[in-house]
Amino acid sequence: LCATGKYHQFNLFNQVLPSPCPRQVRSYYVDWRMLRDVKRRKMAYEHADERLRINAIRKNSILPKELQEVADKEIAALPRDSCPVRIRNRCVLTSRPRGVKRRWRLSRIVFRHFADHAQMSGVQRAMW
Amino acid sequence: STSSVLSTDKDKSAASKDSTTEGASKRQEGGAETPKQQLLDIIGNMKVEVSYRKKLQQLKANENTKQAMNELEGLDREGSVPQGTTEDTQRGKPLNPELVKAASAVASSLPHNKKETESELLAQLRRHEETTDKQKKGGAINIRNVILEMTVKRQSPAQRGARISGGISLQLDEDGRRIRPERSSAQSVDSRSLKVRKRLNIFTKASTEPEHTLKTVSPPTIWDLEFAKEVAAVTAQPPRNGFEEMIQWTKEGILWEFPVDNEVGMEDDAEFHEHIFLEKHLEAFPKEGPIRHFMELVICGLSKNPYLSVKQKVEHIEWFQKYFEEKKELLQEI
Repeated sequence: LCATGKYHQFNLFNQVLPSPCPRQVRSYYVDWRMLRDVKRRKMAYEHADERLRINAIRKNSILPKELQEVADKEIAALPRDSCPVRIRNRCVLTSRPRGVKRRWRLSRIVFRHFADHAQMSGVQRAMW
Repeated sequence: STSSVLSTDKDKSAASKDSTTEGASKRQEGGAETPKQQLLDIIGNMKVEVSYRKKLQQLKANENTKQAMNELEGLDREGSVPQGTTEDTQRGKPLNPELVKAASAVASSLPHNKKETESELLAQLRRHEETTDKQKKGGAINIRNVILEMTVKRQSPAQRGARISGGISLQLDEDGRRIRPERSSAQSVDSRSLKVRKRLNIFTKASTEPEHTLKTVSPPTIWDLEFAKEVAAVTAQPPRNGFEEMIQWTKEGILWEFPVDNEVGMEDDAEFHEHIFLEKHLEAFPKEGPIRHFMELVICGLSKNPYLSVKQKVEHIEWFQKYFEEKKELLQEI
């Protein structure tokens, strides 16, 4: 399973030197959709605290409603990519949006491929 | 019977220091007897035992008259047997005349060339005498000093034991100056003075100057970094077995350290009361009203949160404080 296309990596400031690694090294994201998903995840992480606090004010029965309306407007004003709802758990290797097992972060096809080659630790073909 | 004679001769040389005045007197008498009789008399005289004090005195006398003995030795080498040994010189040289006499007697009793054997025996005796004198001379001084010191000063038993055991061997080289019987010097707490002493060079002086000079060097250049990386890459051999692979992974951070430490990366130095009792942070808020109610709920939730550090909790409360201050005008309208 090799990368279909080479797309430029998101700008990382830390320099990563090429280390002598015998395994397959992925230095590019599989496709643009994966890249966008990565951006969304980063943004969601940055704004997570703010969103939590504003939501705490909104989902409240004690504070006055006017305050809550203001909070609604504020949270809507945040960048759209900062909400965690927009994150899609794609397959890490193929960027497949569907059929992804959460524990391994792999799509079903990749998972099957590795499991048959005995490269998944503790995974066995079920038979009962 | 020659071997037996030689062995007895050696015994004589060993026991030669045990001579007394009796030996001197008898020696003079034995001069007139036959050689064999002389031999027997000498052996008999030499076997007389002496007290330790007399031995020490003799050794002391030996030191004083060492030169005279050497002179006599020179005379004896000629082969002449000194028959007229006076009583005065007897104490200073108890070895030589008797030994010489014995040697001559032995040589005469032997069938071969008498003069040759006599000279050989005398040479042997001389060598033996020199070695023993050297040892005993050193031993005499130290023992004497040790005894004197013991009577004068109060010392720890360890020190005393060490001195006595070391007294036999020369300790003049180790200490800069040997401890002398100083009866007036009661100032030094230990017998070893803290003042002048030869440096043992055990501890190296912590010199600060070279460190400063090293620090002024510029930070490592890119070339140095590259070189270091190259060296690390070359020396990092691929793992030979699974254990080494796991070690490598642990170093990189891929693998956890076992037994698993749940608090890795989490350095919370705060006590439990700082986590739970957060009301002190609520001082900036109004004491009544819905906001206070709301904030109390917030605090209740934070106190039950084990995942945040105290700093994060404080930041949380401060954010709310800032937010409500901005909204103050709006709140006033309500």
